[in-house]
Amino acid sequence: MLSAMRSNQARKDKARGSFQALPVEAMRARPLRLSVPRSLSRSAQREAETVSAARRLNRAAGMLAASVLADSALEHYRGSFKNKAMFTPLVVAGLTLAMSLHGTADRRPVAHRARDASYLSAAVTGLIGTGFHIYNVTKKVGGLSWQNVFYGAPLGAPMAILLSGMLGFCSERVRANGRRRSRRIFKLPAAETVATVSALGLLGTSGEAGLLHFRGAFHNPFMAVPVTLPPIGAGLLAGAVLNGGRRMRGLARWWMRLLALMGFAGVGFHAYGVSRNMGGWRNWSQNILNGPPLPAPPSFAGLAMAGLAALELIREARDA
Amino acid sequence: MSDDPLHSPRAINGRAPDVFRPGRWVSMKQYAEHEAVDFVIVGTGAGGATLACKLAEYGFTVVALDAGPYFRPLEDFASDESEQTKLYWTDDRIVDGDNPLQLGSNNSGKAVGGSTVHFAMVSLRFRPEWFKARTKLGYGADWPIDWREMWAYYTEVEQALKVSGPVNYPWGPPRPRYPYRAHPLNAAARALARGCEALGIGWTETPLATLSAPRGLAHPCVYRGFCVTGCSTNAKQSALVTWIPRALSAGAEIRDLAMVGRIETDANGLAVGVHYNRQNQWRFQKARNVVVAGYAIETPRLLLNSATDKFPDGLANRSGLVGKNLMAQANQAVWGEMDEEVRSYKGPPSLAITEHWNYEDEGKDFFGGYAYMSQGPLPQLWANTQATAHGLWGTRLVEAMKRYNHVVGLKIVGEMLPQESNRVTLADEVDQYGLRIPRVTYSWCDNDKRLIDHSVAFMSRALGAIGAKDLWVQEDDTCHLNGTARMGDRPDNSVVNADCRSWDIPNLWICDGSVFPTVGGANPSLTIQAIACRTADRIRGLSRVGEIRLN
Ligand SMILES: Cc1cc2nc3c(=O)[nH]c(=O)nc-3n(C[C@H](O)[C@H](O)[C@H](O)COP(=O)(O)OP(=O)(O)OC[C@H]3O[C@@H](n4cnc5c(N)ncnc54)[C@H](O)[C@@H]3O)c2cc1C
Ligand code: SF4
Repeated sequence: MLSAMRSNQARKDKARGSFQALPVEAMRARPLRLSVPRSLSRSAQREAETVSAARRLNRAAGMLAASVLADSALEHYRGSFKNKAMFTPLVVAGLTLAMSLHGTADRRPVAHRARDASYLSAAVTGLIGTGFHIYNVTKKVGGLSWQNVFYGAPLGAPMAILLSGMLGFCSERVRANGRRRSRRIFKLPAAETVATVSALGLLGTSGEAGLLHFRGAFHNPFMAVPVTLPPIGAGLLAGAVLNGGRRMRGLARWWMRLLALMGFAGVGFHAYGVSRNMGGWRNWSQNILNGPPLPAPPSFAGLAMAGLAALELIREARDA
Repeated sequence: MSDDPLHSPRAINGRAPDVFRPGRWVSMKQYAEHEAVDFVIVGTGAGGATLACKLAEYGFTVVALDAGPYFRPLEDFASDESEQTKLYWTDDRIVDGDNPLQLGSNNSGKAVGGSTVHFAMVSLRFRPEWFKARTKLGYGADWPIDWREMWAYYTEVEQALKVSGPVNYPWGPPRPRYPYRAHPLNAAARALARGCEALGIGWTETPLATLSAPRGLAHPCVYRGFCVTGCSTNAKQSALVTWIPRALSAGAEIRDLAMVGRIETDANGLAVGVHYNRQNQWRFQKARNVVVAGYAIETPRLLLNSATDKFPDGLANRSGLVGKNLMAQANQAVWGEMDEEVRSYKGPPSLAITEHWNYEDEGKDFFGGYAYMSQGPLPQLWANTQATAHGLWGTRLVEAMKRYNHVVGLKIVGEMLPQESNRVTLADEVDQYGLRIPRVTYSWCDNDKRLIDHSVAFMSRALGAIGAKDLWVQEDDTCHLNGTARMGDRPDNSVVNADCRSWDIPNLWICDGSVFPTVGGANPSLTIQAIACRTADRIRGLSRVGEIRLN
């Protein structure tokens, strides 16, 4: 009886969780979560939740990878692929995206070797890429100056693929918990770890948006949005980790949805930015390269999705 | 009716071209010629357009006349150097002296918007000490304005033009952050930077009046480098796309293709209006105040051409200084070739600058200062330079042009000292309107030559230090003209006071580069516009206490 009540409660929570989840991606997740039969034992239930959590993270990693794939394709095409290494992020992000799709479809409660390998290589690529970009900036005349951080290789960009790799890797670790009661990533508590990675990712990405929007002199007031909302989101995630009350988590969940929405709306704003260049969209082949990067803002959506997954993990760890 | 802006006026019938929308118009207030307006302004360049805008915004009635056409940059400007000579003032003039000036492309424009339509957008503040050059630095003359006051007006202009500049400017007292960020450097600018670093002096991104991000309907810069032949994207924040649209919406009237030939004065010695030629007809506009803003040659020419029995030496000329103290700025260059491609013409021509020798006084054997900037000559100009200044012809010229993509150059804007013998007078010949044409006499003094020698030697070292080969010096070039109606604190040593008001005729004002007592080693347009903003504020202040003729 008690267990039936619990699972009922869990179901309600889940239903609420998925209802409030992300517009596109998370909606797809809903039927899969509801398909957990009521009659399952608690450990089976737990396993199903674990897999869902892992799949949410796969999805977040995939979203980030998609953003990196499109963004680096555009930027490195603009840089004429002067250095062969400039193909790397395309290959790695493409692979990460494919693996994330695979992970999202996979319901087995075990980590997957190929996914693990590809997530790890994404993380390593991110690190090496950051090194390359720092080298590119510092070797320019003027060194680490505003001119070079504005217009040299963007220091923050390779971090996105690092984040994607890290989230994917966390996803595999979460999945490997199977029926275990407290989910861990190595020795760390899964929920808090993912929340921390997401929060740091939000801060870093917001920092990069801030830098590039400062380069654009914040000429449009909306350019302030991605430098104000995400740090608040990071704060709320931290709050959820530290305090963990339902209200704080609820607020954080809403905020993550807002950030995801912002990530997608950002594409629209950037499209408007493209139109303000000489020739507008009629001259798309030049202005897409010239104007604000269309694929960049959805990386916020990826991180917000990771934040949502983290909040769900926190809820399951603390309320269940 | 034909839409050739060079032959038929566009600002008529209550409307003026909308410079931001092809084929569209904006409405324009019109004033009757027989009713006196508060201000009639001659010339709509850096000085005239700024003043017209500010005065109209302060509620005065304003008519601004320009001899040049009213261009629509999005439609009228071709990526073709020959076609774009239509921007220059190429009416007849006579030049003489030991170093006769080359007039035309490098120093004067004829259009609504004046020379700013084809200027290079470099927007520099003066070094504060220059406003007291005589007292503090021992040469030239003092300005009657305090630098701190100018600092505030510079800020106003930088905001109005959304100047793109470095986050921190390395020289001079602190200034507010530039409204837009600096542009990316091209290879020519990086060459300047490397040369400066090799010689241990500072450099920075040049503050430029061209957009690094969108602004309203104006597009950001596309880095095609056609700036000095007219920017066809409206990224360049010329007076034509900044002050003029503001002036129109504040109720000013602009009259294009309107050449003013004479300022009329009455028996009391006051100005009463201007005679101007539009569509081959002489007309008269009545005004309570007349402002002359025609650039350092046309301003004194008009004042001299307006002589009467009461003012036999020309208007505002009791001091005898009208036309005197003409100052060009030295514009020498050192050119060389790099092994790698530079493609210096990509982007605005002067993306990087060093003002080191404007602010450093140690180690100089001359008064004054100079800045030098990276260069990006367009092909036709470059071929001309190679043929004339470098003396190449035939196969050698062809070979040199093949290496155009490897050319790198540094060019100064150098201070020349005011000398009364450098001057604008009237020749006996007349122009197409029957007006006596100006004679422009110019000779360098020893100080000018020493400054030039210093700069050429220094820039040669800078280019040598980065591995440029086949260096050669372009020795005879000047730009930006100023002086000829200097401001001062006494009627006997100047033509106008600090408010740009003439000492002799209280309702006659001069508001352009002519009023500079000294020129410094910085491009002048920002200072001209700052002075115009100040003048507008002073006029408003004076009118409030009844010290200006408004009825
Ligand atoms: C190629 C070039 C590059 C330059 N680059 C820079 C730069 O990078 N930075 C900088 O600060 N400065 C630059 N300058 C200089 C700058 O453009 C001028 O100093 C400034 O525009 C002068 O302002 P002004 O008001 O004195 O005259 P102008 O801007 O020349 O305006 C004078 C106007 O008056 C009109 N006019 C004259 N006489 C009459 C008359 N009798 N009747 C009717 N209209 C008349 C003319 O047609 C003209 O439009 C450049 C100039 C040139 C030519
Ligand atoms: S380089 Fe920029 S400022 Fe110059 S003409 Fe082109 S768009 Fe205009």
